[in-house]
Amino acid sequence: MKRVEVKLNLESVAPLLDLIKSAADDLKLKLAVAPQVPDYEEEFSGGWESELLHGQNSDIGLFLALFGSEFFLTGVVPLDPTNSEAILRACSAVRLRLRAKHLEPLGDEALESGEVPREEMPEAQRKAFAAYVFLATLQELIVQHLDPTVLE
Amino acid sequence: MIVAETKTRLKPGPATATRLQLTDVWHVVVLNDPVNLMSYVVMVFKKVLGFDEMKARKHMLEVHELGRSIVWSGGREQAEAYVFTLQQWHLTAALEADEAR
Repeated sequence: MKRVEVKLNLESVAPLLDLIKSAADDLKLKLAVAPQVPDYEEEFSGGWESELLHGQNSDIGLFLALFGSEFFLTGVVPLDPTNSEAILRACSAVRLRLRAKHLEPLGDEALESGEVPREEMPEAQRKAFAAYVFLATLQELIVQHLDPTVLE
Repeated sequence: MIVAETKTRLKPGPATATRLQLTDVWHVVVLNDPVNLMSYVVMVFKKVLGFDEMKARKHMLEVHELGRSIVWSGGREQAEAYVFTLQQWHLTAALEADEAR
């Protein structure tokens, strides 16, 4: 993957960042998916989980770094071979957290199809859904650049 | 082909050691989740397990439609490494002993 600069619509994305940051903060001490750890002793399980958490935090750190002061000036996020996989994983983690925190009542079928009653949704849930969709779009863009055959 | 990183881990406890004698084939199972995109799952299967496009899509669809797919079978250490790496990508992956043996 070459370096790609993605120009985002600041007016649409900036209002979602507080919610995304809040979901990301929740993940500092908690894994996005409770892992099924092989049946070793407790010490091993703890090590397995803490390694996953360390990786998750590192990915989310790189992801949040996309939205620094430069982003608020230009609306551009730079993706390159050094950060793209971490950002993909971070988007997945934050989407999982958004679902668990805000979107579960919508039901998985509606979430998968995107057919949700937006007008009837409370403001916080509507915003969470917009963030969820935005992160999916960013993921699809990265996947397309990493592996163009996947979306054919 | 990029394969899962093999990590040095603690020795298995007595219960596991007993089980190891009963089976030496372990399955890496991926379970469906309603969040991760199909294109993402296909890419992860290709990257982590070294699948080609067709095989990755087949297993992704199996996960999506049947709720689970055995994506790899073999020795415990390698199976664990795959489970760990798939979990790093936030897929719901688990290790299962081959009960048929």
